[in-house]
Amino acid sequence: MRRTVLALALILAAPAVAATQQEVEESLTCQCGCGLTVHACNHLGCPSGEPMKKEIAERLARGEDKDAILAAFRTRYGEKVLSSPTFRGFNWLAWVTPFAAILAGASGVTLVIRRWVRAPAPPPAAPSPVAGELRQRLARELEDMDREP
Amino acid sequence: MPEVGRLAVCLALLFAAYGVLAGVAGGLRRRAHLVRSAEHAAYAVFGLVVIATAILLRALLRHDFTLEYVAAYSSSTLPTQYTVAALWGGQKGSLLFWSLLLTLFTTIVQVQNRERNRALMPFVTATLMTVAVFFLSLLVFVTDPFERLPVAAREGADLNPLLQNYWMMIHPPSLYTGYVSASVPFAFAIAALATGQLGDQWTRSVRRWALFSWAFLSLGNLLGARWAYEVLGWGGYWAWDPVENAAFMPWLVSTAYLHSVMIQEKRDMLRVWNVVLVLLTFALTIFGTFLTRSGVISSVHSFTQSGLGPFFIGFLVFVLLVAGGLLAYRLPELRTPATMESFLSREAAFLFNNLVLVGIAFAVFWGTVFPVLSEWVRGVKITVGPPFFNRVNAPLGLVLLFLAGVGPAIAWRRASPRNLRRAFAGPVAAGVVAAAALALARVPLGYAFATFALGVFVLGTIGQEFWRGMRARQAMLHESAPRALGRLVGKNRRRYGGYLIHVGVVSIFVAIAGSNAFRIEAQETLKPGDEMVAGKFRLRYERVTSEENAHLSRLAAEVSVWRDGRQIATLAPEKRFYKKPQQPTTEVAMRSTLGEDLYLVLGSYDPPSGLVTLQAYVNPLVSWLWIGGVIMAGGTLVTMWPSAAERRAVAYELGRAQVPAE
Repeated sequence: MRRTVLALALILAAPAVAATQQEVEESLTCQCGCGLTVHACNHLGCPSGEPMKKEIAERLARGEDKDAILAAFRTRYGEKVLSSPTFRGFNWLAWVTPFAAILAGASGVTLVIRRWVRAPAPPPAAPSPVAGELRQRLARELEDMDREP
Repeated sequence: MPEVGRLAVCLALLFAAYGVLAGVAGGLRRRAHLVRSAEHAAYAVFGLVVIATAILLRALLRHDFTLEYVAAYSSSTLPTQYTVAALWGGQKGSLLFWSLLLTLFTTIVQVQNRERNRALMPFVTATLMTVAVFFLSLLVFVTDPFERLPVAAREGADLNPLLQNYWMMIHPPSLYTGYVSASVPFAFAIAALATGQLGDQWTRSVRRWALFSWAFLSLGNLLGARWAYEVLGWGGYWAWDPVENAAFMPWLVSTAYLHSVMIQEKRDMLRVWNVVLVLLTFALTIFGTFLTRSGVISSVHSFTQSGLGPFFIGFLVFVLLVAGGLLAYRLPELRTPATMESFLSREAAFLFNNLVLVGIAFAVFWGTVFPVLSEWVRGVKITVGPPFFNRVNAPLGLVLLFLAGVGPAIAWRRASPRNLRRAFAGPVAAGVVAAAALALARVPLGYAFATFALGVFVLGTIGQEFWRGMRARQAMLHESAPRALGRLVGKNRRRYGGYLIHVGVVSIFVAIAGSNAFRIEAQETLKPGDEMVAGKFRLRYERVTSEENAHLSRLAAEVSVWRDGRQIATLAPEKRFYKKPQQPTTEVAMRSTLGEDLYLVLGSYDPPSGLVTLQAYVNPLVSWLWIGGVIMAGGTLVTMWPSAAERRAVAYELGRAQVPAE
């Protein structure tokens, strides 16, 4: 069960297959310091975004696939050019940890609820008769007040 | 005059430090006069910070360029409203502004509790004053807002042009209000832990404050989104920037608290968890400030970077140690015998809602700090950008939306099969019909599809709650429909206000899903009279107009917008050039309707040829983001409005307190 959920989460999180210009642009970070993806960066004359867009288009036209293009940019700028971590090595943790934490939390919550469901209800505390009577009366009268209108 | 401001801040620090000591001593030794004295010190701190703020504001308005702060963040040509905004436009001013809000809230809390919560108050005051000591120390020892320049500047460097926008007038104060007011529930939680009064008293006392803080965090985030959308000009409103994340995380945890505290009220469970959520919310507000200030993580919000990072981390560690220590100390007393009857109950739905909210907060935290982690571990800089956050959070968001539909309708304790049918048959049917309609309309299967269908399901459960409540009143009390509806909401403000907030949340989900899935982009270089197409719009570039004043020069491209052969609007996206900081900005032009926004950016202009490059975005459903925000604000007001029943509850509590000891 847990494994299926994890697999499902990873499938949902995985990128689609068909490579388009937009998809490649979204996988790369603009290096001008704007912090946006190459696709989102629309500063005209951006010294980083525009040449990258152009190069992506050229490479796609040459028939290169997404991985090859990303690899080329990665060699040039280093790993920080990728807009999200790879699925390999240490970076794998970036993707898996949130889901793992939530699954761990979910099993924790499930266990706790199961234990609480099994636990017998605590015996009602015996209130002092006077206080109990007063409280009942108060509750009764408050209820009367709540009754409309 | 600035020297007086500096003196006021120094005195405020002394009084605040005294407030901490007197508060703790008075609380531990149960000396009422010491406690009062601590409270008076806190009032004095507020007064002194007001004086300091007024002096800085006066210096800004008088363009006193002998002050470093005034010279750095304003200019003689800056419009007055932005000169006022310069108070929080730079780091020093914003720290002073933070102190102002904190001491204001401390004052309000103390006035509210002059006769109430007397056992808790010494520690509430001491905690709030501890936070004040931290911020005031920064102002006194590290970053003095009243610092003089060696030589007075002839002119100021001006406020960052990106901040010269009316949303910027209200976004930071709103977010700060949310951040700072989270200190109040935190202070009560610490006081509850310190005194061992761990019952409902403290949660009930901070209910409004927690809501208030949550509401302003919501508002602050939405206003920030609105600002980004209008000013940054990249066609979006949320970029998962570290500082956006910093504002989002406390909101998520605070939302979790507002839900789980209901379980404590109804069933007296989850005391530890609720304390943890309150402590965590506050810790995250400090962490958020650290992110904005430190520059450890690069961000578009680097307006106010500095070397304050270590101080914030130090304070954060201090807060976590003290809070964690107190929590560990009281843990045995906090444990309450919890029972639950079934997985199919509102308690269980709320627990899973908490799990998802805190899970999303963790995912956002993890993604925000992962680049730092990567650099430590591997020595390699990496980017964790929007694609990561979208992919990780979208499925979690859908689960959350689903739970928002389940929670309000499922029964407390145990939902019988009959109860489930009664509660969910209608809404599920509505969701299925919506899904079928979406499929017929050829909406592709994906997140947007799922969000729309689930949204209808959630609205179904909420609508059903309103409808059934209204019908019941009509049947029993023979009220007219509008009167029954009004009375229904008025008599159960928390419940129906909460439902309204959920309606706003659905609206926001729909806007996010729709604008991400179906946006259209186009970019073309045009000469006057040329046309381009963006979705169903035809855009004709007519001419360029320009204007200049002492503060800035602007260039606007007049674009007529056509649809189905009819002209429907004229838009004028601008490029501006602010003279003092020598910085260009783009001013977006927008035509907003409920269905979509047509969003135009003037990319470039080449005077000799008259060529412009226009970028056009068609962003569907974005309006529902802001509408959702307004609905949420309305719902929050309904929820916070005091009701007659609540006043009776207070009377009941007082009555109970007078009953002989049990």
